[in-house]
Amino acid sequence: MAEVDPHALSEEDFHAEVHSFQFWLEAVEGYLGGTDFGFDPNLTDEEFSESELNYLVTTLCNYCVAEQAALQASSGMISFAPAPDAAIFLSTQVVDEGRHLEVFVHRLKMLGIEDPWQEITARSNQSLLKFKDRLLEFVDQRDWEAAIFVQNVILEAMEFTVFQAHAATADPITSGILTGVAKDERRHMGFGENDLGRKLKQAPHTRTRLNRITAELNPLVLSTFSEIAEELKIDTEDLGISSNYLATIERLGFST
Amino acid sequence: MNDPLIDSDRFTADRQKYELTDTGFNEVPKKYRKFYRKWKGKGDELADNEVLCPVCLVVIRSARSLRPGDRVYCMPCMTRLTVAEEDGMLVARVVY
Repeated sequence: MAEVDPHALSEEDFHAEVHSFQFWLEAVEGYLGGTDFGFDPNLTDEEFSESELNYLVTTLCNYCVAEQAALQASSGMISFAPAPDAAIFLSTQVVDEGRHLEVFVHRLKMLGIEDPWQEITARSNQSLLKFKDRLLEFVDQRDWEAAIFVQNVILEAMEFTVFQAHAATADPITSGILTGVAKDERRHMGFGENDLGRKLKQAPHTRTRLNRITAELNPLVLSTFSEIAEELKIDTEDLGISSNYLATIERLGFST
Repeated sequence: MNDPLIDSDRFTADRQKYELTDTGFNEVPKKYRKFYRKWKGKGDELADNEVLCPVCLVVIRSARSLRPGDRVYCMPCMTRLTVAEEDGMLVARVVY
């Protein structure tokens, strides 16, 4: 295998490389190879108290809501992606989101939930459902800037932050699943921030409209953050909201 | 921006070379893995050939010491960055 210095690639070659399906295949092979539904199959489950189990199930149900939103949105966005490489990248994201939903549902079954889909409906966080509806409206309107902003910047940054914080305190099986999912989220989040950053440079007037969307959705995002933090008994400081989610919004020049 | 493709002399002259080894970072294809490593959080000291990606918090590594103005790429999150100096430390700034 020939070594390649990535920093010596031209910008064009770099973008072509990281947006390719081939890059995705070789990247996920590194951390998903040998896993079974996203975790080491040699691990065995630990004992949970009734309340621990209850909180974990609620949290996993809400992860499923977020992943369903991302799966529906990213697949819908392929049809109006502004460039072929963006469409190819989104196709890898669709595969990732489908896998995330599958591994979380599988985890719910492992925890004794007989009908995970019914449980997801029953335990859904209302703020997250409103957020999902708004995202899918932007996709229906084929509004690329709003959809990429809400999904790949806001939703992905929120998921990345929460999954990383949860992985640090979760039982080994849930932690393994979350760690793998967070690695996928790095790509989705980075794609969104970079695509939107370039668009904002070319069309600065878009910022005003997206600022209104940030103001509308921020309360939903922050309320979801705090509800999940409460369920997981994690201090919101530990979630690193200011250093992750808000830092992303700030880098793109939006007010929070 | 110091682009190694355009100005290779500026990029290589008077710079310390680093022999990079694989640190177990597994989120990019094998051929690129040694150019990245996991960040261990606050207190993780970065070497002269390393900067932290502000987008995804992965440490980006170069085969030579880095200087302000250098261009680097973060493959795990697909970001182009420029190295800058802030309070005497090298940091990476996103270039859209």
